[in-house]
Amino acid sequence: MSNAHAYPHEPTGVETRKLGMWVFLSTEILFFGTLITTFMIFKGREFPGIKLTDVYDIPFTSISSFILLMSSLTMVLAHNALEAKDQEKTRVWLLATAMLGAVFLAGQIYEFTEFYHKGFKLDTNIFSSTFYVLTGFHGLHVFIGVVLLLALWGIGQRQQGLTLEGGMNLEFVALYWHFVDIVWIVLFTVVYLI
Amino acid sequence: MSEEHINHPTPKRYVQIAIILGVLTAIEIALYYTEDLVGAFTAPLLIILAVGKFVIVVGWFMHLRFESKMVNRFFAGGMILALILFAIVMIERASANFS
Repeated sequence: MSNAHAYPHEPTGVETRKLGMWVFLSTEILFFGTLITTFMIFKGREFPGIKLTDVYDIPFTSISSFILLMSSLTMVLAHNALEAKDQEKTRVWLLATAMLGAVFLAGQIYEFTEFYHKGFKLDTNIFSSTFYVLTGFHGLHVFIGVVLLLALWGIGQRQQGLTLEGGMNLEFVALYWHFVDIVWIVLFTVVYLI
Repeated sequence: MSEEHINHPTPKRYVQIAIILGVLTAIEIALYYTEDLVGAFTAPLLIILAVGKFVIVVGWFMHLRFESKMVNRFFAGGMILALILFAIVMIERASANFS
């Protein structure tokens, strides 16, 4: 089912902006790979202070994970609606994605606040530092994604609506959003479940 | 532009994929709570499930399976480099005394 998008006028045969986006995501994999590796160095070791396993709430984080996972569905439905040139559905799905992202972020802020009050702070020990840096950077990426989604939604309100050719391209924002989701798929397993 | 995306899945298929992802997540959570029962297999199974979810999202939602080989290679390149880094550090962690 090979359906590579052919761009014969581009030297690579791939749209340059899209290739650039994938190269960017590739560098992001290395960024999070480094953070996950650092986290794993200290996971399972004994440190002074309260442990992560004493404070985290798996049912709560599971619901957050499910919400972020479903935001990938709404994102791909927005993309699909734009391909079908249905501006209204595109805007609805974009807003739904942004809202689900915002709910996930609110959950993360609540979780961090709870951890802090229970004594699991950024400076509790080196393991807690790696936890907050790792999950915090993911949260920052989600926040940037929500801003991009709302910006797209705002652009979609204009008379000419959204296109797949514009500078602020829905396809690239969708790629970014799905990337944020796959990072969380890994984090949820590595940080919370294992 | 629509011709390029002619083979992309339909909304119905996307919903089916999301249901599969939801089920896999539910299995992950069930595994976490049945760790005493599953024992040493828990962590490998959780990793397999996470890899499965990862591949589904990248392949279907990010449309990587419909992209050119070059795009696939760039993405795989980042993954391979990250995994090499992870492996080297974990081997070092096992052999040396990180403190």
